[in-house]
Amino acid sequence: MAEEAVLPPGGRPPGDPPKQTLLTVRELRVNFGPVRAVDGVSLTVSDGPFGIGLVGESGSGKTTIGRAILRLVPAAGGEILFDGQDVPGLRGRRLREYRRAVQIVFQDADNSLDPRMRIGAAIGEVLTTHGLARGAVSDRVAALLAEVGLDAAFAARHPHQLSGGQRQRVAIARALAVSPRLLVLDEPTSALDVTAQARVLAIVRRLRAERKLSYLLITHNLAIVAELCEQTAVLYLGRVAETGPTASLLTAPAHPYTLALRSAVPEIDPARRRSRIILPGGAPNAAAHPPGCAFHPRCPLAVGACRVLVPELRAVAPGRLAACHRAEEVLAGLRPSAAPAQLSGEPGL
Amino acid sequence: MIRLLKANQLITAGGLIVLLIFVVAVFAPLLAPYPADAGSATHPENALLAPSLTHLFGTDQVGRDVFSRVLYGARISPVIALVVLLLACAAGVPLGVAAGYFGGAADEVIMRVTDVFLAFPSLLLALAFVAVLPASLTVVTIAIAITWWPWYARLIRGQAASVAGRPYVEACRALGIPRWRILLRHVLPNSVTPLIVQVSLDAGGVILTISALSFLGLGAQDPVPEWGLMVAEGENYFTTGWWLVTFPGLAILITALAFNLLGDGLRDALDPRRLPAR
Amino acid sequence: MKLQIRDLQVRFGEQLAASATALDVDAGEIVGLAGESGSGKSMTIQAVLGLAGTAGATVTGSIKLDGVELTGMSAAELRAIRGRRIAAIFQSPGLAFNPVFRVGAIVTRALRQHGLSAAEARDRAAAAMRSVLLPPELLHRYPAQLSGGQLQRVAIALALALRADVLLADEPTSALDVTVQAEVLEVLRELRDSRGMAILFVSHDLAVIAELCDRVAVMRAGEVVEQGVTREVIAAPRHEYTRELLAAVPKLDG
Repeated sequence: MAEEAVLPPGGRPPGDPPKQTLLTVRELRVNFGPVRAVDGVSLTVSDGPFGIGLVGESGSGKTTIGRAILRLVPAAGGEILFDGQDVPGLRGRRLREYRRAVQIVFQDADNSLDPRMRIGAAIGEVLTTHGLARGAVSDRVAALLAEVGLDAAFAARHPHQLSGGQRQRVAIARALAVSPRLLVLDEPTSALDVTAQARVLAIVRRLRAERKLSYLLITHNLAIVAELCEQTAVLYLGRVAETGPTASLLTAPAHPYTLALRSAVPEIDPARRRSRIILPGGAPNAAAHPPGCAFHPRCPLAVGACRVLVPELRAVAPGRLAACHRAEEVLAGLRPSAAPAQLSGEPGL
Repeated sequence: MIRLLKANQLITAGGLIVLLIFVVAVFAPLLAPYPADAGSATHPENALLAPSLTHLFGTDQVGRDVFSRVLYGARISPVIALVVLLLACAAGVPLGVAAGYFGGAADEVIMRVTDVFLAFPSLLLALAFVAVLPASLTVVTIAIAITWWPWYARLIRGQAASVAGRPYVEACRALGIPRWRILLRHVLPNSVTPLIVQVSLDAGGVILTISALSFLGLGAQDPVPEWGLMVAEGENYFTTGWWLVTFPGLAILITALAFNLLGDGLRDALDPRRLPAR
Repeated sequence: MKLQIRDLQVRFGEQLAASATALDVDAGEIVGLAGESGSGKSMTIQAVLGLAGTAGATVTGSIKLDGVELTGMSAAELRAIRGRRIAAIFQSPGLAFNPVFRVGAIVTRALRQHGLSAAEARDRAAAAMRSVLLPPELLHRYPAQLSGGQLQRVAIALALALRADVLLADEPTSALDVTVQAEVLEVLRELRDSRGMAILFVSHDLAVIAELCDRVAVMRAGEVVEQGVTREVIAAPRHEYTRELLAAVPKLDG
């Protein structure tokens, strides 16, 4: 996209005051019965304007992390701190205040709005719940709709009368109704056509600037985080594979999974295409973590240690953390040999 | 297209008849030629007269005008049915929604309670009541309501559970909307459609049950002009006075049919697959 | 030309759902149908399969397979062609397999439907599985025991086993993880190169089409607005809509 760069390359420009930390997640664990959906994830989100991407595929736990932050699923272990407060322990008034400060936009635009409620009523409900006087509601609803590029007339319509992209924008407007400081965007554009997606992303970009918003962008699409997030965390099977400034993570990955992920992204421009690293086996089974490194059964660079030792998330360069026994080698340029892809249906899911 | 028309026809037909019954019930005192006959008046000298211009449906074994009694009967059976259904919903809906939305222990407890009540056939329960209380329409009403509410609790529980899992309900929680409001403004309206249909369909069934219990002597007592009771009383005179059984019987049939048509039509019309597309 | 479409029009009453003046897919090439939802690309596939009529649409124009006209064929003739000559895979592979049957049973039944003996069916199925690089033992599994990517490859294996010449793929990878998608696309390339299959690939993802397809037709609101060799269309789009689509694709910098 020929837009002015929203993000300074490689992080904030020197001279900017260091960002305050808004949200800290430390060794978060979330289980659904035997399934370890989130298995020890740590990350930090700075005060706005700021964007961090959470990238991963099925089973990575990225959606669950978003939900845990919103207190929609209980955390089985670890900490979530917002402005220093322990999030899982919030109750009553403090919980309500938290729910104003942190909001979420779900992936499923079609179903995240009550089909029986008009748009205006749905957004208005949020406003009145959080104390806005009834008389001021319709003006605010119109203002919120305008912020996401929708005409005030949409307030009278029902969700099924809107397109997918419009519904998603309404969901964003609704989340903004509480004036959150942190917005969790859970695959906000996966269900949308490419032009609707572009529109929604443009809105996020604008909101970031206008509202000094901080967001956690959950997606499987590396291209989107490249455009909107200065930091990125790559997740695999409930754990962080690596994390760091987006630009540097994409140019010089330190984890074989990131290599494979990046190589798998289809590229329009033939000049940018790189050779495919095909990962054997399908999406991992979150109920049965492999011993040692969770990625080793599919990793083209796995060695003996990988089958036995769980790699710790550690610093491998300034600002770069990676959980791989060979991270430094990968960072230095180690790549899988260009052998013809051995596709295989692995035993087990 | 065709289904839309058909659904409308059902609703129209059923609706018209129900409306007619309602009108008859309201205006019975005006429409009935012998209103006193619906009460305790008896005219033994006019017993068992065949249908004629003066007595459209004939007279019964104590000379009462059957036509008037059938008209007044419209005030009884359908009204009782509505009361029964209202009671059943009043008990079943809150419990069902709670069970569906909260799940877990609440769900278990409520479902086991419904299991217990489902085990009672209304007949046995009515008999049990009559053993301790004098038989009357009140007894029958309560007996049927007690056996009916668990069905509605179960029905709405399934719907509520499904709605509770939908993204928009989760979104409401994330937005800080209080639980009572989520239940009242989001879960309930989205769960209630199958219930509306079921209630309409059941109205006919309840009327039949009331009539059956009255027929067995457990409900209405003479001289209340309840249709089922009239059929019971007229049974003995079937060979000499066919009109005693036939007309009240037809009234029961038509009323039940009307509600069934209404329910069928509503079910088709409220089918979510037919929600207008963008 | 394996598949030759001329002056195709699919209408629902007055509404034009899909149309294509000239669209060809030759053996050994992958042609992409790019467009957003509602552009008519799926409807085009339905028309080629002869299924548009069941949806209530009227189809006019010519669809030829190896010179034989498909439109106007009887139901029985179409049944013989579907699967055997023209195979299709769709977005949700799970929907293509009846969950109460093992996938192998479904595959062999389809083969036997088209005239093979039980033994031949088993052999062909196993060979086809190997071609999509899946162990034949997976045929013993139920659909729920296979991942999306594996199911999609089984669906492709079925097309192979039937020795279909043409494969219609309607958003086959949209529901898959990107790394799994890479695998499936690789399999499709193999089919084109070693088996000379003619593949019509429908997708809203322009990047995938850019990587996979030799030629592309861009559809919008039921019409083909631009067509040509993929490389050329992307480098120098002639239609404004194509430019709009290309501009909207987020780019991975670095």
